[in-house]
Amino acid sequence: MRIADLLANRQHQWIELDRLCAVLETQRRRKLKAHEVSQFAALYRSACADLALADAYHLPPNTVAYLHQLVGRAHNQLYRTRTFDYRNWGRKLFYDVPQQIFGDTCVQLVFLIFWLLFGMSAILAANPESWPKFVDQVMGDEQVASLEENFATPIAGRDASINPVTAAMYIYHNTGIGLKCFAGGLLILPGLLITSYNAVVLGTSFGYMARPDVSAGINFYHFVTAHGPFELTAIALSAGAGLRLGLSWIKTDGMKRIDSLRKAATKTMPVMGAAMTLFFGAALIEGFVSPSAAPYVLKAVTAVLSSGLLMFYFVVLGYPREHPRAT
Amino acid sequence: MLVTQSIDSTIDIVTPENIAFQYEVAGPFRRLPAFLIDLSVRGGIWVTMLVIFVVLGLAIGGINLAAIGITAWLVSWFVLEWFYGGLLETFWNGQTVGKRVCHLRVLQIDGQPINGMQAVMRNILRLVDMMPLIPLGVLFSGEESMLLPTCLIGIVTTLMNRRYQRLGDMACGTMVVVEQRWQYANDAKRMRYDDIERLALQIPDNFVPSRKLSDALGAYVERRSFLLPARRAEIASHLAPLLATQVNLSKDDGLDDDQLLCALYYHVFVTKPTASEIHKKGKNKAPLHPAATEPTS
Repeated sequence: MRIADLLANRQHQWIELDRLCAVLETQRRRKLKAHEVSQFAALYRSACADLALADAYHLPPNTVAYLHQLVGRAHNQLYRTRTFDYRNWGRKLFYDVPQQIFGDTCVQLVFLIFWLLFGMSAILAANPESWPKFVDQVMGDEQVASLEENFATPIAGRDASINPVTAAMYIYHNTGIGLKCFAGGLLILPGLLITSYNAVVLGTSFGYMARPDVSAGINFYHFVTAHGPFELTAIALSAGAGLRLGLSWIKTDGMKRIDSLRKAATKTMPVMGAAMTLFFGAALIEGFVSPSAAPYVLKAVTAVLSSGLLMFYFVVLGYPREHPRAT
Repeated sequence: MLVTQSIDSTIDIVTPENIAFQYEVAGPFRRLPAFLIDLSVRGGIWVTMLVIFVVLGLAIGGINLAAIGITAWLVSWFVLEWFYGGLLETFWNGQTVGKRVCHLRVLQIDGQPINGMQAVMRNILRLVDMMPLIPLGVLFSGEESMLLPTCLIGIVTTLMNRRYQRLGDMACGTMVVVEQRWQYANDAKRMRYDDIERLALQIPDNFVPSRKLSDALGAYVERRSFLLPARRAEIASHLAPLLATQVNLSKDDGLDDDQLLCALYYHVFVTKPTASEIHKKGKNKAPLHPAATEPTS
């Protein structure tokens, strides 16, 4: 058996495998006939074996390089991306994630930082005598003016067709902030900065609006009460998940840094999923309930209900318990 | 093996079939065109959808449908901005539009396909790789201005590891490889020129080159078509005279260095029978190698 003959024999198979790869790569999987699919697998195995024996067969270098790329391409078509594991999402979201959040010191720490900054800014903004220029320094004149202008008129309902648009806008804008807090957490400082900035600005707005001399205040609280719990929790939650990601660089629990990071990434992604669900919920409330002409009581009830749901989620579902089955 | 790995940007992968093959990993500037293509695709979809939704909404039924159109557009804007790459890589087997055009693919670092979560995560974390952002105003002394992503973090991290992973890749255990597409070229076939064949016949049968020598012959002959004659002569002149004495040929026959190397290549890869025990080895694996078991011609 000469090498040239061997090549002549094999090249038809390689070229056929090449052709099948090209068909599969252009997403025309269904265009392959059944026998072609089984042929593809056989050809792939045979190309693998050719590559493994290339050394023994003494194949020319070019052919070996060709086989490397051919096997690589075929491998990628045979072993394809696994899509999302939808069936496990429910279990993850309502069983694993709350327990993980409950025991996660990073989430607790960020909740603490967020609410401390939020509260301090609110107190400073509400009491102008201690730091008179605080509000202007944080938000700037223009932003304060536009905030007041937005809430100058009482919330009296509006053209209902605008509601979905605003809800979508909030999904885009607020979930975006959450995702930024999360991704920024990977480098710790950017994440903490984005979170702190949001906490201070939000706290300042809330505090400023609580001043007795600000007439827009009552409308403001009329608007924000309903969606507040979901939205603020979601921001803190995303930032907490981000911080967990960032800290995995530092606190490695004896693993290599990179492995620790990878492990943290796998664990925090579902938490971010929960945060995004909260953002979506908040956006729907903010788009449909908050701007409606409904009495304040209804909005307060919404807020109490959503806070109750959150407590249930974090505490009741999150309370550590024995795993019923090994995961 | 280790040496070649650190010289070339290739990664060895072991498949479930227990075969090792190599991938070329894609560096940051190989990935840049793909990123730019994706960016323009996103921009294109964004504008097209805006136009379609608003025009359809206005044309069909006034303000209410327009509002629905804008809602859909805003939601898809959100999806495009954060999940374009993640969703495409999930459902297109590790490729986005840009990656498909540039023949790139995302894989796990062990060569296995990625899963949906990894695809989404590495795309969300791109935000960090694009940091630090600098306001354009700093450059042009304007006050309020757009933020320009410098991508420094991504570039520096890719340069600091062998797989050219950016931070998002590291967190997800993924890498981007180049999926080359070569046409099969049978160099041995191309060598059938008469005088080379004639020359090859003069080489004694008992001349069996070492592994390294035959690799060198292969490397030379497969590349010689890219070289000018003078360069071929220069390269061949290092090896040919030494080999000529080994195979009892001399320059007196008007022997050309390049031709001698070609003839040796022909002798090694085309006319020389491979060792019979190798052939038998192939026979033992008959189910895998139908072709290898055919009778010797």
